[in-house]
Amino acid sequence: MNGEDQFEKRLQGLPPRPVPTSWREGILRSARAEAVAAPGSTDRGQSPSRILAARLSGILWPHPRAWAGLAALWLVVLALNLAAHDPAGAAQEMADRPVRQSPEMRELLKQQEQLLAELVGPLGAREAKHPDSAPHQPRSQIYLESLNT
Amino acid sequence: MPPDSELERLYDQHATALFAFLLNFTRDEEDSREVLQEVFVRIARQPELIRTTRDERSFLIRLAHNAAVDLMRRRGTRQQHHEQFGREELSIFAAAADPDEAAFRAALSTALGELPPDQRTVVHLKLWEGLTFVEIAGILNLPPNTAASRYRYGLDKLRDLLRPFYEEIK
Repeated sequence: MNGEDQFEKRLQGLPPRPVPTSWREGILRSARAEAVAAPGSTDRGQSPSRILAARLSGILWPHPRAWAGLAALWLVVLALNLAAHDPAGAAQEMADRPVRQSPEMRELLKQQEQLLAELVGPLGAREAKHPDSAPHQPRSQIYLESLNT
Repeated sequence: MPPDSELERLYDQHATALFAFLLNFTRDEEDSREVLQEVFVRIARQPELIRTTRDERSFLIRLAHNAAVDLMRRRGTRQQHHEQFGREELSIFAAAADPDEAAFRAALSTALGELPPDQRTVVHLKLWEGLTFVEIAGILNLPPNTAASRYRYGLDKLRDLLRPFYEEIK
């Protein structure tokens, strides 16, 4: 165990090889240059989606509220447009759909029709009583006729 | 972009350690320079990354490690070929005036090249960065026990490879 510690300490005491001094300026200059040129210069080696996202961000970032407002307005217009057109389309669709009545429904309608006929009398008789084809008379004439009868 | 003085301070404080780590990991001086530059470019582009971190050194090593792993993946088989034939000549320690010491350092550099990269990385961070296994685990994104076992295996292998020198030390 003691030998192991000695071995580790021996290794730990070794000084690392220093960075070549000539690298410093080059690396720092490159770092500054890349940072200044970003995001345009960062396109190398990146996926198209990341490049697109970076460019979109560059366009949208200066006025985020204006772009957000425009997007919201566009959504409102789209929603209104859909709301205005959809009901008409749905109604048309319903109108075009063939009506299918079940035998029970037909029977019920027939019963209601009979009941109505019993209550108000036959439609033909009412129409005969007040024919539309009768000649038009002044109201005073009609009144006098009714008094005489 | 951080102020120039801030970038320079980071370089002056951490470049030597990062270079030693990268040289040990990549086993190539040019690759180490490329990754080192990539790290500082990234910091220059996103200075908030370093401002929000507690431990600058660990954060920079993590950045360097990730960038080096990416580079190795890009290099692929070319790198493996380079590793096979280039590891003998590489020296990752400062030059020594004493011939015996120089020989020991050269032998250690070669022995480190014999380790798998995973073990080599942990050995470097433990021995020359003085990090705990928990800290190493955080940097390399692995369990602390795994970091500890990699260190043990790596150190045992180094001891075997350097046994002639080790006997002299004792």
